Amino acid sequence: MLILQILSLEPAHGYGIAQRLEQISRSVVQVNQGSLYPALHRLQQKGWLRGAWKQSETGREAKFYSLTPAGRRQLAVEKDSWARLSGAVNLIFEEGSR
Amino acid sequence: MIRFFNWFRRRSLERGLDRELQYHYDRRVTDLMSAGVPQSEALRRAAVELGLAQVREEVRDIWLTRWLRDFLYDLRFSTRSLLRSPGFTATTLLSLAFGIGASTAIYSLVDQVILHALPVRNPERLVLVDWHGDHVVGGFGSYNLMSYPICRDLQQQTRFFDGVLCRAEILVNVAAGGDPKPVAAEIVSGSYFSVLGVGPALGRVIEEPDDSGPGASPVAVLSHSFWQAEFGGAADIVGRKILINEHPTTVIGVAAAAFHGVDVGAVPALWIPASMYAAALPGTEDLLRHPTRWMQILARLRPDFTAAQAQAGLQPWFQGWIRDNMVRPGFPIISSDRRRRYLASTLALTSAPQGHSPMRRSLSQPLWVLFAATGVLLCLACMNVAGLFLARGSARGREIGTRLALGASRGRIGRQLLADSLLLALAGGALGIALASPAVRALTAFLPDSGGATAIRSAVSLRLLAFAFLTSLAAGLASGLAPALHAGRNDLISSLRERGGTGFGGIGLRKCIVTLQVAFSLILVVGAALFVRTLTGLLAKGPGFNTGHLVSFSLAPRKNGYSPADAGRLIRRIDAEIRALPTVRTSGIARYALLTGGSWNDPVTIQTGRRFVTDRDINLNGVSPGFFATLGVRILDGRDFDARDSRPAGETGSRSAIVNQAFVKRYLAGISPLGVRLGEGSGPDVTPDIVIVGVVGDFNYRGLRDDSAQAFFPIFEGDDSGATFYAKIRGSSAEAFQSIHQVVRQADPALPILSFRTLDEQVSRSLNTERMLAALSGSFGALALVLSLIGLYGVMSFVVARRTREIGIRLALGATGASALRLVLRDAGVMIAAGVAIALPCIAALGKLFQSQLYGVTATDPATVAAAAAILAAGALAAAFIPAWRASNVSPMDALRLE
Repeated sequence: MLILQILSLEPAHGYGIAQRLEQISRSVVQVNQGSLYPALHRLQQKGWLRGAWKQSETGREAKFYSLTPAGRRQLAVEKDSWARLSGAVNLIFEEGSR
Repeated sequence: MIRFFNWFRRRSLERGLDRELQYHYDRRVTDLMSAGVPQSEALRRAAVELGLAQVREEVRDIWLTRWLRDFLYDLRFSTRSLLRSPGFTATTLLSLAFGIGASTAIYSLVDQVILHALPVRNPERLVLVDWHGDHVVGGFGSYNLMSYPICRDLQQQTRFFDGVLCRAEILVNVAAGGDPKPVAAEIVSGSYFSVLGVGPALGRVIEEPDDSGPGASPVAVLSHSFWQAEFGGAADIVGRKILINEHPTTVIGVAAAAFHGVDVGAVPALWIPASMYAAALPGTEDLLRHPTRWMQILARLRPDFTAAQAQAGLQPWFQGWIRDNMVRPGFPIISSDRRRRYLASTLALTSAPQGHSPMRRSLSQPLWVLFAATGVLLCLACMNVAGLFLARGSARGREIGTRLALGASRGRIGRQLLADSLLLALAGGALGIALASPAVRALTAFLPDSGGATAIRSAVSLRLLAFAFLTSLAAGLASGLAPALHAGRNDLISSLRERGGTGFGGIGLRKCIVTLQVAFSLILVVGAALFVRTLTGLLAKGPGFNTGHLVSFSLAPRKNGYSPADAGRLIRRIDAEIRALPTVRTSGIARYALLTGGSWNDPVTIQTGRRFVTDRDINLNGVSPGFFATLGVRILDGRDFDARDSRPAGETGSRSAIVNQAFVKRYLAGISPLGVRLGEGSGPDVTPDIVIVGVVGDFNYRGLRDDSAQAFFPIFEGDDSGATFYAKIRGSSAEAFQSIHQVVRQADPALPILSFRTLDEQVSRSLNTERMLAALSGSFGALALVLSLIGLYGVMSFVVARRTREIGIRLALGATGASALRLVLRDAGVMIAAGVAIALPCIAALGKLFQSQLYGVTATDPATVAAAAAILAAGALAAAFIPAWRASNVSPMDALRLE
């Protein structure tokens, strides 16, 4: 879901995603760089991502991943279920603090 | 599925992943270095973070799930290793291809002739309605004959049936502008198409009003293929007039393309309503009202009834019906005994999703016998492959041992071996399918009549593909399982320690396999020998008359609109002109053709000192003077018919008959047959006033197995619906045909000559089923023999190779070469003997199943079985002798040095 969220803003290559993840994860969770690529390929296999070789900012060719329409729908679904889950958790916490 | 395709583009996927990861790695190193990390440290950290090898492996697992990837690697490995040993691969592939090809070809026939349901709406609800018991009333046609009135009455039984149809197959002369041509047709009730649920491709089909009364509607529906072949698929066909037996008939439509009638063996060119019976079957009584049996009845059951329930439910109605039937016009006067049997009749309903077919009736037993034979053959092929795999497995013992030592699981190795055999089986299956199509085409040449041959398609259907695929899969599993299990069981340490001298891995299993192979092939060889003896026996016996230079053809003037008297005159005139032809030595006419399987038959009342009726139907025929001489049948007593006996219909006078030897032997033993009087039929009203004037030698009437009692009447008395001419010719049959054709054309240019053939051709045609059985079982037997000999040779070579050291030691200790030879041959002898011992009771049991297909031999004929066993044993010993000879020539020094 994190990968889908990052890619929903703009297409990015693997290293770019890793950097973004690192920025986020520095504060919250630790993401292993090694598990990034299997995840990317799994999402591509499911048809949620598509990959294309493009010039990167350094001038070398890199594989840029972007969301497919199906991926966008999946992101919406996951956001929705996450919101419901976190909403439920919040409710429980508020119940406890009261 | 996408994953499966990934296998084929895995190289480009790998390249892409490499580039991607390289990019990541390089960027990381650059970033780390720009952050002040020294280069060597940066390289190390980037590599550790990424874990390149593991990432690659994980991504590969996503592309293809692990088991699929392993399986595909197995297949690739199998292909490579099989290509490395072409001899082994070719042997196994051919074994399987023959096994699968033969069973697929026979299955194709079984499927089309026996199993295939009609292409109609819900065929599984169709039932055949038949009469069990004494019909009393005569009929004409093939089997399961019923009358038209009972079909009409059954249509009222709507409690059980959604609809009832009746139909008969007939031959009619069709003319559409040109000369009339004989074609197969179906004469059907008005309900036919609606009950079957078959619609038109063009125009309309026959409907109830077309069949409302005699001559109600002279219409015809063409079959799709006849429309295409004869009318070039003309779009304006509906409404055209054609002549059917010279009666103007309107084409009202073309039936759906997939529909070929309800009989797989007789494909009709057109359908006409039963109301046209007078045009279609000239000279018959009022078939719509008389109880004459001439049609088959098919009914569509209501969904809430089974055939058995409907059958039980219909009996009360049927009991009433058969009483009513007795007062119908045309019902014969019968004795009280006969009447009792008639009233005990019942109605029988059998499921008939495949329709009605005399061809199925005559072919299903031979086809099942052949199908069983191909099953045995396939088993043999699988055993051979299993045996070869075991041999290969032992040869690969060290390779497998090494792989086990390196950590491969037993299951993994077993899977590898299974992949080998599956790959071979599927390749063999593909080859087999390629073989099956021409094989089916060749097989149809054996089918009894040309009508059946055209109905059988040799194209590979989806069903057939599924059958072949499943067979190959089963064959692969069966032949691969034993070796795979065996490989899994191998003990690691001992297999690594093993050196081609000790150890008997799989030898017991292989001996079992060879023993079974010997048993199976003996069964097939005995079967082949029996069928070949049946065929040669029948051919050697012949039809009981001299077929050399004999031709025959039929004329059916009644179908061209002749009145009975005119038809008789025409036949006489043509007969006289043919006798005068220089190409014809002698000629004669019979009312019914010989060797077609059918006959005119009836019980006969005999008046000697007492009056009695024959216990079975006598085969009857009307023949002209000179008929017996033309056939070369000897007159044993009395005289042939002559001009005195022939007289036009209606004139009275004494009538005469000739009977055959079998008739005399059965009914007139001990008395002089000449002067005995006969009457046709069995009723009390029959007057026996036909005097026997002669006795002829026996010859076959219906077919070559027929040895029935026969009686002959002069042909030129009463009305004759047609005639089959038999002519002894000079020169070639082509020249004779030319001159005979000329004669018939001069008499009536529109009269077609039907089935002009030499008698040799007819004899061989009537033996088609026997020839099919003999040829196929013969080739299956030979194939089985070869397969089992290969198997035996393989096992014995293996045994000898394994025992080389032992034999070497024996020889070194003073044993002679001959004793080594004995040692090995004894081994083979035990297997052969065990195989024969297994086969004999099987043959005795199976023999009962196909006894009816045999002639002149019993299934357990000792000479045949002994000869087959001797052939098999001789072949097997010869196959075992080669390795045995090698063993006896082992030099002790070489054998010991092998270590």
